[in-house]
Amino acid sequence: MNKRRILVAMCALSLGSAVFAAAQEIKEPPKSVAVAQEQQPTAVANAPEAETPSQPPAANAKPSARSIEAAERIEGEKRFRTNCGRCHQAPHKFPPRVMATAIRHMRVRAMITDEDQRLILRYMTQ
Amino acid sequence: MSIIEPKSEPVRQACLAAVHREAKASPRRSAKSLSRRFLRFRCALLLTALLASTQFQLPLYAQSQSQPTQDADQSDNDKPVPIFTGSAGYITDFTGGSPDLHPIASGILLIPIGDRWLIESRASFEDDMVQQPGRSGFHGPVEKEVDYAQVDFIANPYLTVTVGRFLTPFGIYNERLYPVWIRNLQSDPLILPIGIGPSNASTGAMFRGGFSASQSVTINYAVYFSALSNLTPVDSERTAGGRAGVFFPKLRLELGGSFQHRLQDERSNLFGAHVIWQPNSLPLDIRAEVARSREGSGYWIEPAYRLSQLPFLRDEMRRTQIVARVQQFWVGPLANDALQPVNTQVFEAGVNYYFMDGLKGSFNYGRQFSSQGNVNVWTMAATYRFVLPFERTRNQ
Repeated sequence: MNKRRILVAMCALSLGSAVFAAAQEIKEPPKSVAVAQEQQPTAVANAPEAETPSQPPAANAKPSARSIEAAERIEGEKRFRTNCGRCHQAPHKFPPRVMATAIRHMRVRAMITDEDQRLILRYMTQ
Repeated sequence: MSIIEPKSEPVRQACLAAVHREAKASPRRSAKSLSRRFLRFRCALLLTALLASTQFQLPLYAQSQSQPTQDADQSDNDKPVPIFTGSAGYITDFTGGSPDLHPIASGILLIPIGDRWLIESRASFEDDMVQQPGRSGFHGPVEKEVDYAQVDFIANPYLTVTVGRFLTPFGIYNERLYPVWIRNLQSDPLILPIGIGPSNASTGAMFRGGFSASQSVTINYAVYFSALSNLTPVDSERTAGGRAGVFFPKLRLELGGSFQHRLQDERSNLFGAHVIWQPNSLPLDIRAEVARSREGSGYWIEPAYRLSQLPFLRDEMRRTQIVARVQQFWVGPLANDALQPVNTQVFEAGVNYYFMDGLKGSFNYGRQFSSQGNVNVWTMAATYRFVLPFERTRNQ
Protein backbone atom coordinates (compact mmCIF):
# COMPACT_ATOMS: atom_id res chain seq x y z
CA MET A 1 0.00 0.00 0.00
CA ASN A 2 2.84 2.38 0.92
CA LYS A 3 4.64 1.66 -2.34
CA ARG A 4 1.57 2.64 -4.30
CA ARG A 5 1.10 5.81 -2.29
CA ILE A 6 4.72 6.83 -2.81
CA LEU A 7 4.59 6.09 -6.50
CA VAL A 8 1.37 8.04 -6.90
CA ALA A 9 2.81 10.93 -4.86
CA MET A 10 6.02 10.99 -6.93
CA CYS A 11 4.20 11.05 -10.22
CA ALA A 12 1.61 13.54 -8.99
CA LEU A 13 4.38 15.85 -7.75
CA SER A 14 6.22 15.72 -11.09
CA LEU A 15 3.04 16.18 -13.05
CA GLY A 16 1.74 18.96 -10.83
CA SER A 17 4.97 20.94 -10.90
CA ALA A 18 5.28 20.57 -14.67
CA VAL A 19 1.68 21.70 -15.26
CA PHE A 20 2.07 24.57 -12.79
CA ALA A 21 5.27 25.71 -14.47
CA ALA A 22 3.70 25.46 -17.91
CA ALA A 23 0.78 27.57 -16.71
CA GLN A 24 3.19 30.17 -15.35
CA GLU A 25 5.09 30.18 -18.65
CA ILE A 26 1.90 30.86 -20.59
CA LYS A 27 0.86 33.68 -18.21
CA GLU A 28 4.20 35.53 -18.14
CA PRO A 29 6.20 36.71 -21.14
CA PRO A 30 9.75 35.32 -21.40
CA LYS A 31 12.21 37.18 -19.20
CA SER A 32 14.47 38.15 -22.08
CA VAL A 33 11.52 39.93 -23.69
CA ALA A 34 10.69 41.60 -20.38
CA VAL A 35 14.30 42.72 -20.00
CA ALA A 36 14.31 44.04 -23.55
CA GLN A 37 11.05 45.89 -22.90
CA GLU A 38 12.48 47.38 -19.74
CA GLN A 39 15.72 48.36 -21.42
CA GLN A 40 14.27 49.87 -24.57
CA PRO A 41 12.83 53.08 -23.08
CA THR A 42 15.99 53.61 -21.04
CA ALA A 43 18.16 53.27 -24.14
CA VAL A 44 16.00 55.74 -26.01
CA ALA A 45 16.01 58.14 -23.09
CA ASN A 46 19.80 57.96 -22.82
CA ALA A 47 20.38 58.50 -26.55
CA PRO A 48 21.51 61.97 -27.69
CA GLU A 49 18.57 64.25 -28.53
CA ALA A 50 19.78 64.98 -32.06
CA GLU A 51 19.88 61.29 -33.03
CA THR A 52 16.44 60.26 -31.79
CA PRO A 53 14.11 62.18 -34.11
CA SER A 54 16.30 62.34 -37.23
CA GLN A 55 17.60 58.74 -37.38
CA PRO A 56 15.81 56.28 -39.67
CA PRO A 57 14.11 53.23 -38.02
CA ALA A 58 16.99 50.88 -38.93
CA ALA A 59 19.47 53.06 -37.06
CA ASN A 60 17.16 53.15 -34.03
CA ALA A 61 16.95 49.36 -34.03
CA LYS A 62 20.74 48.95 -33.76
CA PRO A 63 21.27 50.56 -30.35
CA SER A 64 18.24 48.77 -28.92
CA ALA A 65 19.64 45.40 -30.02
CA ARG A 66 22.94 46.37 -28.45
CA SER A 67 21.19 47.37 -25.26
CA ILE A 68 19.35 44.05 -25.20
CA GLU A 69 22.66 42.25 -25.52
CA ALA A 70 24.17 44.39 -22.76
CA ALA A 71 21.14 43.76 -20.56
CA GLU A 72 21.38 40.03 -21.16
CA ARG A 73 25.07 40.08 -20.29
CA ILE A 74 24.38 41.92 -17.04
CA GLU A 75 21.55 39.53 -16.25
CA GLY A 76 23.80 36.58 -17.12
CA GLU A 77 26.52 37.79 -14.77
CA LYS A 78 23.96 38.29 -12.02
CA ARG A 79 22.58 34.80 -12.45
CA PHE A 80 26.06 33.35 -12.68
CA ARG A 81 26.98 34.86 -9.31
CA THR A 82 23.65 33.95 -7.73
CA ASN A 83 23.46 30.34 -8.96
CA CYS A 84 27.07 29.17 -9.22
CA GLY A 85 28.17 31.01 -6.08
CA ARG A 86 25.49 29.25 -4.05
CA CYS A 87 27.63 26.11 -3.86
CA HIS A 88 31.15 26.82 -5.02
CA GLN A 89 33.77 29.37 -5.87
CA ALA A 90 32.78 30.99 -9.17
CA PRO A 91 35.08 29.49 -11.83
CA HIS A 92 36.99 31.43 -14.45
CA LYS A 93 35.75 31.34 -18.01
CA PHE A 94 36.44 28.24 -20.05
CA PRO A 95 36.37 27.90 -23.86
CA PRO A 96 32.76 28.08 -25.14
CA ARG A 97 32.39 24.39 -26.05
CA VAL A 98 33.72 23.28 -22.65
CA MET A 99 31.44 25.77 -20.94
CA ALA A 100 28.45 24.44 -22.88
CA THR A 101 29.07 20.95 -21.47
CA ALA A 102 29.76 22.23 -17.96
CA ILE A 103 26.58 24.29 -17.89
CA ARG A 104 24.51 21.34 -19.08
CA HIS A 105 26.04 19.27 -16.28
CA MET A 106 25.20 22.01 -13.79
CA ARG A 107 21.68 22.28 -15.10
CA VAL A 108 21.14 18.67 -14.09
CA ARG A 109 23.22 18.75 -10.91
CA ALA A 110 22.22 22.15 -9.50
CA MET A 111 18.76 22.18 -11.13
CA ILE A 112 19.19 25.66 -12.56
CA THR A 113 16.41 26.83 -14.83
CA ASP A 114 16.39 26.83 -18.61
CA GLU A 115 16.57 30.62 -18.62
CA ASP A 116 19.48 30.64 -16.16
CA GLN A 117 21.34 28.11 -18.31
CA ARG A 118 20.91 30.22 -21.41
CA LEU A 119 21.93 33.52 -19.80
CA ILE A 120 24.88 32.07 -17.87
CA LEU A 121 26.16 30.32 -20.99
CA ARG A 122 25.84 33.55 -22.92
CA TYR A 123 27.71 35.47 -20.23
CA MET A 124 30.44 32.85 -19.89
CA THR A 125 31.07 32.58 -23.62
CA GLN A 126 31.03 36.28 -24.48
CA MET B 1 -1.75 -16.78 -14.64
CA SER B 2 0.20 -14.70 -17.08
CA ILE B 3 -0.61 -11.02 -17.27
CA ILE B 4 -2.33 -10.18 -20.53
CA GLU B 5 -2.86 -6.56 -21.46
CA PRO B 6 -6.51 -6.18 -22.52
CA LYS B 7 -6.44 -4.75 -26.04
CA SER B 8 -10.09 -5.11 -27.00
CA GLU B 9 -13.46 -5.68 -25.35
CA PRO B 10 -13.69 -9.47 -25.98
CA VAL B 11 -10.12 -9.95 -24.72
CA ARG B 12 -10.88 -7.84 -21.64
CA GLN B 13 -14.04 -9.89 -20.95
CA ALA B 14 -12.05 -13.10 -21.33
CA CYS B 15 -9.41 -11.79 -18.92
CA LEU B 16 -12.02 -10.82 -16.34
CA ALA B 17 -13.71 -14.22 -16.65
CA ALA B 18 -10.36 -15.94 -16.13
CA VAL B 19 -9.64 -13.78 -13.09
CA HIS B 20 -13.09 -14.60 -11.60
CA ARG B 21 -12.53 -18.30 -12.23
CA GLU B 22 -9.20 -18.09 -10.49
CA ALA B 23 -10.74 -16.10 -7.64
CA LYS B 24 -13.13 -18.94 -6.99
CA ALA B 25 -10.34 -21.50 -7.08
CA SER B 26 -7.79 -19.60 -4.99
CA PRO B 27 -9.12 -16.38 -3.48
CA ARG B 28 -5.86 -15.35 -1.75
CA ARG B 29 -3.57 -15.81 -4.78
CA SER B 30 -6.12 -14.11 -6.98
CA ALA B 31 -6.33 -11.10 -4.71
CA LYS B 32 -2.56 -10.74 -4.90
CA SER B 33 -2.60 -11.14 -8.65
CA LEU B 34 -5.37 -8.57 -9.03
CA SER B 35 -3.59 -6.16 -6.74
CA ARG B 36 -0.38 -6.56 -8.77
CA ARG B 37 -2.27 -6.05 -12.01
CA PHE B 38 -4.00 -2.93 -10.77
CA LEU B 39 -0.71 -1.56 -9.48
CA ARG B 40 0.93 -2.15 -12.87
CA PHE B 41 -2.05 -0.63 -14.63
CA ARG B 42 -1.91 2.43 -12.38
CA CYS B 43 1.85 2.77 -12.90
CA ALA B 44 1.39 2.56 -16.65
CA LEU B 45 -1.39 5.14 -16.49
CA LEU B 46 0.70 7.56 -14.43
CA LEU B 47 3.75 7.14 -16.62
CA THR B 48 1.61 7.73 -19.69
CA ALA B 49 0.22 10.88 -18.08
CA LEU B 50 3.73 12.04 -17.25
CA LEU B 51 4.97 11.43 -20.77
CA ALA B 52 1.87 13.14 -22.13
CA SER B 53 2.65 16.18 -20.01
CA THR B 54 6.18 16.11 -21.41
CA GLN B 55 4.81 16.03 -24.93
CA PHE B 56 2.37 18.81 -24.06
CA GLN B 57 5.26 21.03 -23.10
CA LEU B 58 7.45 20.15 -26.06
CA PRO B 59 6.01 22.87 -28.28
CA LEU B 60 6.87 25.44 -25.60
CA TYR B 61 10.39 24.06 -25.41
CA ALA B 62 10.72 24.03 -29.17
CA GLN B 63 9.53 27.62 -29.21
CA SER B 64 12.14 28.66 -26.70
CA GLN B 65 14.77 26.71 -28.64
CA SER B 66 13.93 28.53 -31.82
CA GLN B 67 14.64 31.97 -30.37
CA PRO B 68 17.45 33.69 -32.25
CA THR B 69 19.59 34.02 -29.11
CA GLN B 70 19.36 30.30 -28.52
CA ASP B 71 20.33 29.65 -32.09
CA ALA B 72 23.35 31.82 -31.62
CA ASP B 73 24.26 29.88 -28.47
CA GLN B 74 24.07 26.63 -30.34
CA SER B 75 26.40 27.70 -33.13
CA ASP B 76 29.26 25.39 -34.04
CA ASN B 77 31.64 27.21 -31.73
CA ASP B 78 29.37 26.67 -28.74
CA LYS B 79 28.42 23.05 -29.31
CA PRO B 80 29.23 21.04 -26.21
CA VAL B 81 32.19 18.68 -26.33
CA PRO B 82 32.93 15.65 -24.13
CA ILE B 83 35.10 16.67 -21.21
CA PHE B 84 36.98 15.00 -18.42
CA THR B 85 36.98 17.00 -15.24
CA GLY B 86 37.54 16.24 -11.62
CA SER B 87 39.45 17.04 -8.52
CA ALA B 88 42.33 15.79 -6.44
CA GLY B 89 43.24 16.47 -2.87
CA TYR B 90 45.64 15.54 -0.14
CA ILE B 91 44.11 15.77 3.29
CA THR B 92 46.01 15.22 6.52
CA ASP B 93 44.28 15.15 9.86
CA PHE B 94 45.33 14.53 13.42
CA THR B 95 42.44 13.17 15.44
CA GLY B 96 43.33 12.97 19.12
CA GLY B 97 47.00 13.13 18.15
CA SER B 98 47.04 10.21 15.71
CA PRO B 99 47.87 11.18 12.11
CA ASP B 100 45.75 10.09 9.16
CA LEU B 101 46.79 10.69 5.54
CA HIS B 102 43.99 10.84 3.07
CA PRO B 103 44.79 11.27 -0.63
CA ILE B 104 41.72 11.40 -2.88
CA ALA B 105 41.18 11.74 -6.62
CA SER B 106 37.91 11.74 -8.46
CA GLY B 107 37.29 12.06 -12.16
CA ILE B 108 34.09 13.07 -13.90
CA LEU B 109 33.36 12.14 -17.48
CA LEU B 110 30.74 14.25 -19.26
CA ILE B 111 29.51 13.20 -22.70
CA PRO B 112 26.83 15.44 -24.20
CA ILE B 113 24.79 13.93 -27.03
CA GLY B 114 22.66 16.18 -29.19
CA ASP B 115 20.81 19.04 -27.52
CA ARG B 116 19.15 17.11 -24.75
CA TRP B 117 21.20 14.16 -23.63
CA LEU B 118 24.07 13.93 -21.20
CA ILE B 119 25.97 10.90 -20.01
CA GLU B 120 27.88 11.59 -16.82
CA SER B 121 29.92 9.49 -14.49
CA ARG B 122 32.17 10.06 -11.51
CA ALA B 123 34.59 7.60 -9.98
CA SER B 124 36.54 8.18 -6.79
CA PHE B 125 39.76 6.67 -5.57
CA GLU B 126 40.71 7.37 -2.01
CA ASP B 127 43.04 6.01 0.57
CA ASP B 128 42.90 6.24 4.32
CA MET B 129 46.45 5.69 5.49
CA VAL B 130 47.32 5.29 9.16
CA GLN B 131 50.35 4.14 11.12
CA GLN B 132 50.12 0.46 11.94
CA PRO B 133 51.88 -1.15 14.91
CA GLY B 134 55.03 -3.04 13.94
CA ARG B 135 55.22 -1.45 10.48
CA SER B 136 56.96 1.69 9.34
CA GLY B 137 55.19 4.36 7.38
CA PHE B 138 51.48 4.76 6.67
CA HIS B 139 49.29 2.03 5.20
CA GLY B 140 45.70 1.59 4.17
CA PRO B 141 43.60 0.06 1.42
CA VAL B 142 42.58 2.09 -1.63
CA GLU B 143 38.82 2.47 -1.85
CA LYS B 144 37.29 2.62 -5.32
CA GLU B 145 33.75 3.81 -5.90
CA VAL B 146 31.53 4.65 -8.83
CA ASP B 147 29.79 7.64 -7.31
CA TYR B 148 27.41 8.01 -10.22
CA ALA B 149 26.96 6.77 -13.76
CA GLN B 150 23.80 8.21 -15.20
CA VAL B 151 22.05 9.15 -18.39
CA ASP B 152 20.16 12.45 -18.32
CA PHE B 153 17.44 13.40 -20.75
CA ILE B 154 16.33 17.04 -20.69
CA ALA B 155 12.70 16.42 -21.60
CA ASN B 156 11.58 20.04 -21.38
CA PRO B 157 12.52 23.21 -19.46
CA TYR B 158 10.91 21.82 -16.32
CA LEU B 159 11.80 18.17 -16.34
CA THR B 160 14.98 16.15 -16.63
CA VAL B 161 14.77 12.37 -16.51
CA THR B 162 17.77 10.57 -15.04
CA VAL B 163 18.34 6.84 -15.22
CA GLY B 164 21.21 4.82 -13.76
CA ARG B 165 23.25 5.30 -10.65
CA PHE B 166 22.91 8.79 -9.20
CA LEU B 167 23.84 10.67 -6.04
CA THR B 168 20.91 10.43 -3.66
CA PRO B 169 19.26 13.84 -3.44
CA PHE B 170 18.73 13.88 0.32
CA GLY B 171 19.86 17.18 1.81
CA ILE B 172 22.40 19.33 0.00
CA TYR B 173 25.79 18.06 1.08
CA ASN B 174 25.96 14.78 -0.81
CA GLU B 175 24.86 16.11 -4.16
CA ARG B 176 26.16 19.66 -4.21
CA LEU B 177 28.96 20.14 -1.69
CA TYR B 178 30.78 16.79 -1.47
CA PRO B 179 33.73 17.30 -3.90
CA VAL B 180 36.91 18.31 -2.08
CA TRP B 181 37.38 21.47 -4.14
CA ILE B 182 33.86 22.68 -3.28
CA ARG B 183 33.54 21.93 0.44
CA ASN B 184 34.59 24.67 2.84
CA LEU B 185 35.72 22.27 5.57
CA GLN B 186 37.32 18.98 4.60
CA SER B 187 35.64 16.87 7.26
CA ASP B 188 32.21 15.37 6.51
CA PRO B 189 29.21 16.52 8.56
CA LEU B 190 28.16 13.92 11.16
CA ILE B 191 24.70 13.56 9.60
CA LEU B 192 25.99 13.04 6.04
CA PRO B 193 25.33 9.24 6.01
CA ILE B 194 21.63 9.79 6.82
CA GLY B 195 19.47 9.16 3.78
CA ILE B 196 22.17 8.79 1.13
CA GLY B 197 22.52 5.02 1.05
CA PRO B 198 25.48 2.69 1.62
CA SER B 199 27.78 4.33 -0.95
CA ASN B 200 26.20 7.79 -1.23
CA ALA B 201 24.21 6.79 -4.30
CA SER B 202 21.01 5.20 -5.53
CA THR B 203 20.32 3.01 -8.53
CA GLY B 204 17.11 3.61 -10.42
CA ALA B 205 15.30 6.54 -11.97
CA MET B 206 14.85 10.15 -11.02
CA PHE B 207 12.75 13.07 -12.23
CA ARG B 208 14.17 16.49 -11.48
CA GLY B 209 14.18 20.06 -12.63
CA GLY B 210 14.18 23.73 -11.81
CA PHE B 211 11.89 26.47 -13.04
CA SER B 212 10.92 30.05 -12.25
CA ALA B 213 7.56 30.21 -10.52
CA SER B 214 7.66 34.02 -10.72
CA GLN B 215 10.25 36.77 -11.18
CA SER B 216 11.44 36.35 -7.61
CA VAL B 217 10.91 32.65 -6.86
CA THR B 218 12.62 29.64 -8.38
CA ILE B 219 11.58 26.11 -7.52
CA ASN B 220 13.73 23.00 -7.82
CA TYR B 221 12.66 19.44 -7.21
CA ALA B 222 13.87 15.85 -7.48
CA VAL B 223 11.88 12.66 -6.98
CA TYR B 224 13.44 9.24 -7.30
CA PHE B 225 13.10 5.53 -6.87
CA SER B 226 16.09 3.36 -6.07
CA ALA B 227 16.36 -0.40 -6.38
CA LEU B 228 18.31 -2.70 -4.09
CA SER B 229 21.81 -3.55 -5.28
CA ASN B 230 24.32 -5.62 -3.31
CA LEU B 231 26.96 -5.43 -6.01
CA THR B 232 30.06 -3.64 -4.67
CA PRO B 233 31.05 -0.88 -5.52
CA VAL B 234 27.62 0.02 -6.90
CA ASP B 235 25.51 -1.02 -3.93
CA SER B 236 22.33 0.82 -3.07
CA GLU B 237 19.17 0.51 -1.00
CA ARG B 238 15.56 0.13 -2.07
CA THR B 239 14.11 3.55 -1.38
CA ALA B 240 11.83 6.22 -2.77
CA GLY B 241 11.95 9.88 -1.94
CA GLY B 242 12.35 13.41 -3.05
CA ARG B 243 13.70 16.83 -2.35
CA ALA B 244 12.24 20.23 -3.10
CA GLY B 245 13.71 23.68 -2.71
CA VAL B 246 12.48 27.23 -3.08
CA PHE B 247 15.10 29.79 -4.10
CA PHE B 248 14.59 33.55 -3.79
CA PRO B 249 17.19 35.05 -6.17
CA LYS B 250 16.79 38.62 -4.89
CA LEU B 251 17.43 37.55 -1.30
CA ARG B 252 19.85 34.83 -2.41
CA LEU B 253 18.10 32.48 -0.02
CA GLU B 254 17.21 28.86 -0.60
CA LEU B 255 14.96 26.82 1.68
CA GLY B 256 14.30 23.17 1.07
CA GLY B 257 13.23 19.85 2.44
CA SER B 258 13.94 16.17 1.76
CA PHE B 259 11.97 13.03 2.36
CA GLN B 260 12.81 9.38 1.94
CA HIS B 261 10.93 6.18 2.59
CA ARG B 262 12.90 2.96 2.89
CA LEU B 263 11.28 0.08 1.06
CA GLN B 264 13.30 -2.55 2.88
CA ASP B 265 14.27 -3.62 6.41
CA GLU B 266 12.49 -1.44 8.97
CA ARG B 267 10.69 0.61 6.24
CA SER B 268 11.25 3.85 8.08
CA ASN B 269 10.81 7.45 6.98
CA LEU B 270 13.66 9.96 6.89
CA PHE B 271 13.29 13.74 6.87
CA GLY B 272 15.68 16.57 6.12
CA ALA B 273 15.71 20.34 5.68
CA HIS B 274 18.31 22.77 4.38
CA VAL B 275 19.01 26.48 4.12
CA ILE B 276 21.53 28.36 1.99
CA TRP B 277 21.79 32.12 2.38
CA GLN B 278 24.25 34.54 0.84
CA PRO B 279 23.39 38.08 1.94
CA ASN B 280 23.70 40.67 -0.80
CA SER B 281 25.58 43.13 1.37
CA LEU B 282 28.29 40.79 2.71
CA PRO B 283 30.62 38.14 1.20
CA LEU B 284 29.06 35.70 3.66
CA ASP B 285 27.85 32.22 2.86
CA ILE B 286 25.65 30.45 5.40
CA ARG B 287 24.63 26.83 4.94
CA ALA B 288 22.71 24.64 7.33
CA GLU B 289 21.12 21.24 7.27
CA VAL B 290 18.95 19.14 9.59
CA ALA B 291 18.27 15.41 9.23
CA ARG B 292 16.04 13.08 11.22
CA SER B 293 15.88 9.32 11.01
CA ARG B 294 15.49 6.29 13.27
CA GLU B 295 19.25 5.74 13.03
CA GLY B 296 20.07 9.17 14.34
CA SER B 297 19.33 12.85 13.99
CA GLY B 298 21.33 16.01 13.92
CA TYR B 299 22.17 19.32 12.33
CA TRP B 300 25.08 21.41 11.12
CA ILE B 301 25.46 25.14 10.53
CA GLU B 302 28.37 26.46 8.49
CA PRO B 303 29.06 30.17 7.96
CA ALA B 304 31.95 31.14 5.66
CA TYR B 305 33.18 34.70 5.25
CA ARG B 306 35.44 36.06 2.50
CA LEU B 307 37.76 38.78 3.77
CA SER B 308 37.50 40.81 0.56
CA GLN B 309 36.03 43.80 2.41
CA LEU B 310 39.08 44.35 4.60
CA PRO B 311 40.97 47.54 3.62
CA PHE B 312 44.51 46.10 3.81
CA LEU B 313 46.40 43.43 1.78
CA ARG B 314 43.49 43.44 -0.61
CA ASP B 315 44.84 40.82 -3.01
CA GLU B 316 45.56 38.35 -0.20
CA MET B 317 42.36 39.09 1.68
CA ARG B 318 40.08 38.52 -1.29
CA ARG B 319 41.62 35.05 -1.62
CA THR B 320 41.11 34.25 2.05
CA GLN B 321 37.98 32.77 3.60
CA ILE B 322 37.32 32.01 7.24
CA VAL B 323 34.94 29.16 8.00
CA ALA B 324 33.27 27.69 11.05
CA ARG B 325 30.91 24.77 11.57
CA VAL B 326 28.84 23.75 14.55
CA GLN B 327 27.20 20.35 14.49
CA GLN B 328 25.43 17.98 16.79
CA PHE B 329 24.33 14.38 16.43
CA TRP B 330 21.97 12.26 18.50
CA VAL B 331 21.98 8.48 18.21
CA GLY B 332 18.71 6.81 17.21
CA PRO B 333 17.21 3.44 18.22
CA LEU B 334 18.52 1.67 15.08
CA ALA B 335 22.22 1.03 14.48
CA ASN B 336 24.18 2.36 11.50
CA ASP B 337 27.92 1.74 11.23
CA ALA B 338 28.43 4.88 9.15
CA LEU B 339 27.11 7.12 11.93
CA GLN B 340 28.65 8.01 15.28
CA PRO B 341 27.96 5.36 17.97
CA VAL B 342 27.26 7.97 20.69
CA ASN B 343 25.83 11.46 20.93
CA THR B 344 28.46 13.83 19.58
CA GLN B 345 29.05 17.55 19.23
CA VAL B 346 31.74 19.08 17.05
CA PHE B 347 32.92 22.65 16.62
CA GLU B 348 35.33 23.47 13.80
CA ALA B 349 36.93 26.66 12.53
CA GLY B 350 39.42 27.17 9.75
CA VAL B 351 40.90 29.19 6.93
CA ASN B 352 40.82 28.57 3.17
CA TYR B 353 43.22 30.31 0.81
CA TYR B 354 42.47 30.27 -2.93
CA PHE B 355 45.85 30.40 -4.70
CA MET B 356 44.17 30.44 -8.11
CA ASP B 357 40.96 29.20 -9.73
CA GLY B 358 40.72 25.56 -8.68
CA LEU B 359 43.69 25.40 -6.31
CA LYS B 360 42.93 25.80 -2.63
CA GLY B 361 44.80 25.34 0.64
CA SER B 362 42.90 24.70 3.89
CA PHE B 363 43.74 24.58 7.54
CA ASN B 364 41.29 24.02 10.34
CA TYR B 365 40.93 23.06 13.96
CA GLY B 366 38.05 21.22 15.55
CA ARG B 367 37.04 19.97 18.97
CA GLN B 368 34.86 16.90 19.27
CA PHE B 369 32.81 16.29 22.42
CA SER B 370 31.31 12.88 23.15
CA SER B 371 30.92 10.36 25.95
CA GLN B 372 33.82 8.40 24.40
CA GLY B 373 36.14 11.30 25.20
CA ASN B 374 36.82 14.79 23.93
CA VAL B 375 39.45 15.09 21.20
CA ASN B 376 41.10 17.78 19.11
CA VAL B 377 41.03 17.42 15.33
CA TRP B 378 43.58 19.31 13.21
CA THR B 379 43.20 19.20 9.44
CA MET B 380 45.39 20.44 6.60
CA ALA B 381 44.51 20.02 2.95
CA ALA B 382 45.43 21.03 -0.57
CA THR B 383 42.80 20.54 -3.27
CA TYR B 384 42.83 21.05 -7.00
CA ARG B 385 40.13 21.03 -9.69
CA PHE B 386 40.90 20.38 -13.38
CA VAL B 387 39.06 20.35 -16.72
CA LEU B 388 40.28 18.56 -19.87
CA PRO B 389 38.27 18.77 -23.09
CA PHE B 390 38.38 15.75 -25.43
CA GLU B 391 38.11 17.85 -28.58
CA ARG B 392 39.90 20.90 -29.77
CA THR B 393 38.17 24.04 -28.55
CA ARG B 394 38.43 27.61 -29.67
CA ASN B 395 40.34 29.53 -26.99
CA GLN B 396 39.09 32.91 -26.03
